[in-house]
Amino acid sequence: MIRTTPLLLSLLMAGSAAAAEPKGLLETTRHHVTLTSTITDDGDLNPYAIAVVPASVGALHEGDVLVDNFNNISNLQGTGTSIIAYTPATKQTRLFARLPQRLPQCPGGVGLTTAMTVLKSGWVIVGSTPSTDGTTRTRGDGCLLVFDANGRLATTWTGPAINDPWGNIASLDHGDSATLFISMAGFDIAGPEVQDPATGLPVTHHKATVLRLSLRIPLGQPPEIVSQTVVGDGFSARADKDVFLIGPTGLALGADGTLYVSDALENRIAAIADAATRTASAGTGRIVTQGRLLQRPLALAGTPAGHLLAINGRNGQVVEIDPASGQQLYAQWIDANQAQQPPGNGDLFGIALRPDGKAFYYVEDEMNFLMEARP
Amino acid sequence: MRRHHTTTLRSLAMAAGTFALLGAAGARAASPAASADALGFTDGIWRSSNLLGDLWGLRPWLSAHGMTFDAQETSEILGNVSGGTRKGFAYDGLTQMTLQLDTERAFGWQGGLFNVSALQIHGDNLSSRNLGTLQTASGIEADRSTRLWELWYQQKLLDEDRLDIRVGQQSIDQEFMVSQNAGYFVNTMFGWPMLPSADMPDGGPAYPLSALGLRVRAKPADAITVLAGVYNGSPTNGPQDTDSSGTSFGLHNGQLLIAELQYAYPSPGTMISPDQGEPLSRLYKLGAWYNTQSFADQRLDTLGLSLADPAGSGMPRRHHGDYALYAVADQMLWRDQADPDHNVNVFARAMGTPLSDRNLIDFSLNVGLTVHEPFPLRDGDTLGLGLGLAHVSSQAAALDANTAAFTNSVTPTRHSETFIELTYQYEVTPWLTLQPDAQYVFNPGAGIANPSDPGHTVKNELVLGLRTTILF
Repeated sequence: MIRTTPLLLSLLMAGSAAAAEPKGLLETTRHHVTLTSTITDDGDLNPYAIAVVPASVGALHEGDVLVDNFNNISNLQGTGTSIIAYTPATKQTRLFARLPQRLPQCPGGVGLTTAMTVLKSGWVIVGSTPSTDGTTRTRGDGCLLVFDANGRLATTWTGPAINDPWGNIASLDHGDSATLFISMAGFDIAGPEVQDPATGLPVTHHKATVLRLSLRIPLGQPPEIVSQTVVGDGFSARADKDVFLIGPTGLALGADGTLYVSDALENRIAAIADAATRTASAGTGRIVTQGRLLQRPLALAGTPAGHLLAINGRNGQVVEIDPASGQQLYAQWIDANQAQQPPGNGDLFGIALRPDGKAFYYVEDEMNFLMEARP
Repeated sequence: MRRHHTTTLRSLAMAAGTFALLGAAGARAASPAASADALGFTDGIWRSSNLLGDLWGLRPWLSAHGMTFDAQETSEILGNVSGGTRKGFAYDGLTQMTLQLDTERAFGWQGGLFNVSALQIHGDNLSSRNLGTLQTASGIEADRSTRLWELWYQQKLLDEDRLDIRVGQQSIDQEFMVSQNAGYFVNTMFGWPMLPSADMPDGGPAYPLSALGLRVRAKPADAITVLAGVYNGSPTNGPQDTDSSGTSFGLHNGQLLIAELQYAYPSPGTMISPDQGEPLSRLYKLGAWYNTQSFADQRLDTLGLSLADPAGSGMPRRHHGDYALYAVADQMLWRDQADPDHNVNVFARAMGTPLSDRNLIDFSLNVGLTVHEPFPLRDGDTLGLGLGLAHVSSQAAALDANTAAFTNSVTPTRHSETFIELTYQYEVTPWLTLQPDAQYVFNPGAGIANPSDPGHTVKNELVLGLRTTILF
């Protein structure tokens, strides 16, 4: 998740940067601390989304870190139903919300994804990409779930444009209104057993979208969708027997209104110009960077300097990118667990900046930890 | 989320029930996944980490109290189709159960982990029955028993995993001398090596044994880890069956001191430049152990005569203390840029001691190569080719020569035993692994006489087998 304010500040700061200053964030965040186990008391596993609470409302305290789980205790993907809250000041972890796996108003049930954001008004919006057997064979279209600040489900959003909300949410939050950007990766995705004879892999579809939701947030009432606009489409997505679904996963909004999208299957970062105002889709946008250090980029976050941090799905690295130049600055191995080869392979997913912009949170989803990389 | 490759030592299984399960796998495609779950665990059974899912509510109940429970059956049929003291196949198996409690999740105490595990060892021991090898064919072969294995508490003391301690009954093969890539193989010596198996009292505190002790792990730098432990000098007071339940908790058999220095690349925080590409991972270890117990001479008696000399006392001379040095290396050799799951790794582990007077084995070596995702789209599979060498000490060999001279009999002089192993871990589901395996042993027993064929050594052996692991 990313907000515009730090990015605006960062651009101002970038102009006065001295030559001796670090060229990016990663070289300054060399300490990696395990903050908490993300396993809930009912055994949900596989933490995906991370969202930092922007303001204290209800049971949420400013700076709390929310993490959701995609798997249940049997490690079936698309069946996780719980969100934990970690308070950095007290180092305490508690359950924030839990739903039943079968929820009639959410087609297919509940499997919480990397799509999660917390609004200043305390509303928590989370994506569901559900399954019952741990694969996309039993995939439902899912929904967006809206929780109040005390973890109670307030409403759900479904519709033809909402089909397995998947990647991390980028947002513009004005208090009484907000704009959300969410990738939708489920269109036409079948089970992993439906393979492309040419590759032997599950069939790749080019129907994933990035949806913009404009919200009105009446005082004391759940947010309402004012308008929906597809600002990007044609992104690649396919089922996968190991990781469930591969599609556009990371979203981050630049200060100039450009939305950056991690196109995981194509191993690239794309840019959609004027994402907050455009009235038509930009297709798959402009390629910012591709390949090199990227190894299936997943969640994205923006740094104070206006750079992007892209989590790699196929090694334990995070890559820092200057989107203005398209240059990949460097990568850092934040998960060097050699139980996976290459180290950290398949262990990373969500990322979010600490509010002061000097550190970032990430999850190790096989180890079920919330981690922090700090100076 | 992906799964780990299965590298747990002595893991994985097969039994009569396995074939029934495979039959069910074949029928799976036709059955709807969202079928009624009459048995309580069939929904999602082909993707679940465990065959029995949430164990009818037990796992969620345990989780609510900060606990996890794992049960695993490793079963195998192994047999020698050539060589050995006789030919034939044997079944053996291991049921392993582990309960862990995370103290933070249980009651808010940060950094604590309590672990208790138990073993049920069943079946026959092919190596002792047919093979006569030093380097036994399977890491799960042991005396039949139902026994406590480990019982320890671990506490993190510093952030970033900089320091932690573990105290209690420990099987040190879980942490010391470990080669990550060697863990895919079936032969015992890819787990706990030959030298300590032969030279430490009762084979050392390694599966299926353990010993009371204290272990400290420190990370003075990101890439460096130091492991050091002190344990009871012998895991039992004698052969395994004198402590068949694993609950003797001995503390008066001297001490085993062991330390290991590890270097890992990458480590958390390692920076990679765009021009560098992705470097290959590696893990190197250097270690040493010292045991304060008394050790019998391999050749001489208390009078300084050969133990084979009829004029001698027959009582072996005793020596105070024993030690060995070792090195372990795991190195990725190659990785497919387009598909990192497809990679090739090598490993080597060598251990030696200059004390040939008190040790049967003075040098042992394991080397090998593993290939992950050896075939396209089989990213849960691993192919391995390995070699093991055990060298008999000069003094033990000299006793063989003395025995031949004094008894005027045909007594071969032992020197070394070598084997090669070819293995394939095939992941059927996340909870079921099949592992066909072939081993060829050169000079079994380092050249021991064949009791079934007097005057000749045991002939080279071809051992074939199939192992199955089921996670319940």
